[in-house]
Amino acid sequence: MNLKKQFMEGLLTQNPVLVQVLGMCSTMAITTSFFNGLGMGVAVLVILTLSNVIISLIRKIVPDKIRIAMFIVVIAGFVTMVDLFLQAFVPALAESLGVFIPLIVVNCIILGRAEAFSYKNGVAASFFDGVFQGFGYTVVLLIMCIIREFLGAGTFGAGLLGVDGKGIQILPSQFPAGMLTLPVGGFLTLACLIAAMQWALSKTKK
Amino acid sequence: MSNEVKTKEKINMDPKYIIKLTVTLFLTCVVVAGLLGLVNKITEPNITAANKAKTEAAMQQVVADPEGSTFSDALEITAEMTAAADAAGAKVTEAYEVQSGGAPAGYALKIVASGSQGSIEMMVGVDAEGVVTGVSVVKNSETAGIGSKVMNNEPTDAGVGVLSQFEGKSAADGTLTVGSNVDAISGATVSTKGVTTGVNAALAVAGVMG
Repeated sequence: MNLKKQFMEGLLTQNPVLVQVLGMCSTMAITTSFFNGLGMGVAVLVILTLSNVIISLIRKIVPDKIRIAMFIVVIAGFVTMVDLFLQAFVPALAESLGVFIPLIVVNCIILGRAEAFSYKNGVAASFFDGVFQGFGYTVVLLIMCIIREFLGAGTFGAGLLGVDGKGIQILPSQFPAGMLTLPVGGFLTLACLIAAMQWALSKTKK
Repeated sequence: MSNEVKTKEKINMDPKYIIKLTVTLFLTCVVVAGLLGLVNKITEPNITAANKAKTEAAMQQVVADPEGSTFSDALEITAEMTAAADAAGAKVTEAYEVQSGGAPAGYALKIVASGSQGSIEMMVGVDAEGVVTGVSVVKNSETAGIGSKVMNNEPTDAGVGVLSQFEGKSAADGTLTVGSNVDAISGATVSTKGVTTGVNAALAVAGVMG
């Protein structure tokens, strides 16, 4: 087990969004405000860590043939629990993320890590894999949120900071390009980030 | 990804093996379902309370006298009400009787109409004379920055909040239509139309409720 290597993988070299390009759907859809990005990132981190640990625990007794079905049952269970807890204790976030919380069940990051990592590794390593991969996902979401919110609405921290949680207005409201908060803005922002990441990775390799 | 997982497991129809698979999967589902039941038990009171508080807050926003109003439990939706809402192009999902200072003061109706990105769920208050006392959006998936302006009651070019403009309208104004007697937020015409359809439906439903 190599914590430093695992951390670098989660954050940079094997970043779930920018390098593995997993979980694109939710990445595009919810990165319009800081609060959403943070909530979604933390929800995925928690679910990923829990499901990684459980799948690693049961990996020896799961028959190969039905492993995907078992993974999905475990993941769906955790997602539903997180969904219920959010609705009960953080209703504002549950409302703002809406259907994307239940959809974490089919988020490829979680099934991907189950199949590629926790099914083959020990509990502790799987736990840290969940934390680091979830952290890498959250960081990318936050970067995208900050860019899209700043250029699209001219604010920072919508849903969390400022008057009525509307965010701190940085750009005067007539400047921002509302397009950035639409799906097309998600594609553009993500493309730029992936390009920057690949450039940086190829640089460091040489 | 799975090339390390051994795939050469014999494909046989050995009943024992099949039973083993079935039982394993079944037991996993039972355990997970049991845990979910437990979590549901813990969270259910909070979720119910949160939903109720949300509904009441939405109702208070749409009645003429927020302080002095009390609300009945949800009324039964009759076939007539459903038909009236359908004819106007929306659905009525919940209805509450409003009492102000002990006297009946109309209804609060929860209406679902379609917007540009999905359905818009709104609460519409109609007083005893059939006049709209307020409109508030409970749930929507309109585009952030465009349709959301309508949901947040931002002012139209005429300077009145796009939701506030419905206050005081009644069935006597005829069918409300964007462009003639309703102003839209520019760029968000479809969202405004969705809300307008909902208000028309609310007036129709309140009409049949008497």
